Amino acid sequence: MSWNEHWRFDRPLFSLADDEMDKQSKYVWEHESLGGIAENNNPLPRPVIGLLLLTYFTAMAITFPLYGQRPNAAIYADYVALMNSTEVQKVLNDKTISHAQADKEAMALIEEALAHFDSPYAFQRAQHPIDMNKLRAIAPEIVELQTKGVDLREYNVIGNHLYKANFEGNIKPNGERERIQPWWDKGYQIAVWWFIIFCLAVIIAVKRLPHFSWQPDHSIAH
Amino acid sequence: MLKYLFAKESEIPQGTTAIFFGISSICWFIIGTGLGSFNAAKLAFPDWYHGLYWLQFGHMRQVHVHAVIFGWIAMAFAASMMYITPALGNTKLWSEKLGVWNCLLYNVGLCLALALLWSGVTSGREYSDHIWPIDLYIAFVMVLPWCVNVWMTIIHRRTQGIYTSNWFFAACMFMTVIVFLVGNLPEFFHLTGLNEAYMTWWFAHNILGLLITPVAAAITYYIVPKITGNPLYSHRVGHLHFWSIVVFYSTPAAHHLMSSPLPEWLKSFASVEGVLILVPAIAYVCNILLTMQGKWSMFVNNVEIKFTITGVLLAIPLNMQGGFQQTRAINWYIHGTGWIVAHAHLALLGFSTFAEAAAVYYGLQVLLRRKLYSLSLANLHFWTLLIGFSLYWTSMTIAGLIQGAAKIYEVPYVDVVIAEHPYMIVRWLGGTLVFLGNIVWLYNMYMTARYGDEVPAGRQPAELAYVR
Repeated sequence: MSWNEHWRFDRPLFSLADDEMDKQSKYVWEHESLGGIAENNNPLPRPVIGLLLLTYFTAMAITFPLYGQRPNAAIYADYVALMNSTEVQKVLNDKTISHAQADKEAMALIEEALAHFDSPYAFQRAQHPIDMNKLRAIAPEIVELQTKGVDLREYNVIGNHLYKANFEGNIKPNGERERIQPWWDKGYQIAVWWFIIFCLAVIIAVKRLPHFSWQPDHSIAH
Repeated sequence: MLKYLFAKESEIPQGTTAIFFGISSICWFIIGTGLGSFNAAKLAFPDWYHGLYWLQFGHMRQVHVHAVIFGWIAMAFAASMMYITPALGNTKLWSEKLGVWNCLLYNVGLCLALALLWSGVTSGREYSDHIWPIDLYIAFVMVLPWCVNVWMTIIHRRTQGIYTSNWFFAACMFMTVIVFLVGNLPEFFHLTGLNEAYMTWWFAHNILGLLITPVAAAITYYIVPKITGNPLYSHRVGHLHFWSIVVFYSTPAAHHLMSSPLPEWLKSFASVEGVLILVPAIAYVCNILLTMQGKWSMFVNNVEIKFTITGVLLAIPLNMQGGFQQTRAINWYIHGTGWIVAHAHLALLGFSTFAEAAAVYYGLQVLLRRKLYSLSLANLHFWTLLIGFSLYWTSMTIAGLIQGAAKIYEVPYVDVVIAEHPYMIVRWLGGTLVFLGNIVWLYNMYMTARYGDEVPAGRQPAELAYVR
């Protein structure tokens, strides 16, 4: 039986190698000089283990798509509705002020009106402020999509146009893909499994070594 | 070199290949950083040169990138592997003759590749800029013989165990061949669109992640225990480092394309893996710094340790940046700015270069059996490299933050160019300092080979550094 076939499973987190394999590993470790270099058998320091776990949870937490997404069309639907209101149109058509000034005042009016109501899009609106010129450009497309009755959250604003979002979620009953990006997607599921498999593989690799309570005597080979 | 090309294997002294690769790498480092300095001058003072078509920025940028990656970094890796791999197996290099031919054809191939880039014959894809015949030449004439020499040396080792550095050397060469051939599929089969973009960045990411970063780390795994005389802190932490590189560094390529229409779940996965690059980074840095216990005085008085540990310390900000800059939140801000240029130089000119310079310094002294001609010049080289790099890195990082702010707030581009001008000048000064330092290095190594004091058998050059 080769030395690679020596396994024990009674205390898997302590050791996966039986006594004979341990003995052979220790002999090689102490009697072999790898180009004049020796190796110790220290464990990873506990604060560092803590740091690694923190890294994993940070990795999962920080990559949720809270920031850095393109704006979706739904966050501007209320802007379009208010743009067509009497009050805002009055400001936009005011001949006593310049065109730029009218745009600025009209947008201030819209934002002031929106501030009076709770909205699930408040955060995204703060992330993606819009000016009147751009609002004018995208407004016809928003109205057209509303007329069709589609979910505006599935459309991104890119430049002066709306495009269906590229997120590939679950398939809906009508056969189309879910396009609204959730805070969790299958990329995270793969990441969780990937990490678990990695941990298992590394644990198996290092638990086949002599336990870290044993330190080699380097004076034998060096 | 010529006399060894047709000599019998037994007539070629051990270490010949490593010496040729080592000297070549220094020469290419001077050429690469000289081109970098020229390019930086063009960015700092756009009107200063309007001459030859070949010397325009679009051509020169590619030539600079490939001169430093394939010339300096890869050849310094080859030099290191050609002497470290046999040393760790208590054996000799499998074939010095193959190595000498490899070195010659590597230099010839690189000259040809750069000449074509210079004349505008390019695939147009960043980092995989070469046309397909050059790609095949690189894979089968420049890299494969190098792989064979490393793998066969490890197979013919005279030890039962394989030291951590050699795991990295063997695995990284294997992964590099795969990455190179697969990553250039768009060039071989004319893939376009998103496939082309993804494959291009899969290649670029993995050349950095599966060749440059881990091989530089593997070099330090050899240099630090060898020169300090301390055992490596932990064999098992080496396992953690190695397997986490393979698992977490090979998967996040999509994080280079966070604004592209790639599937969002792929970006989510890539982004999590991108942060998890910190796992190998933490394991590696801990292992090396803990190996230094009781020998920290060598960080001051030993030039190879000074270079190596500086490189290891630079790996900390490198991986912190690398881990977090690709998340959606931060990438949104810094993507496409000078921040990324600064980060790339932190990886290549910071961490990797300092580790490799130590290996070339140490290797040439050991193989030539000559004590370094001038420790003062070596220290001058260290400080010009460190100060030059620091100027470059900080100026480009600041310039990147300005560009990021300007991008988000839609500041007119010309205003951004004006705001960045002082930082472009500092970038040029930093790059030029690195270039000048490298000329000093070549002179020092030439004088070492010609006039350095002989190192007696059984002694380490480092032991004699202060002996007159």
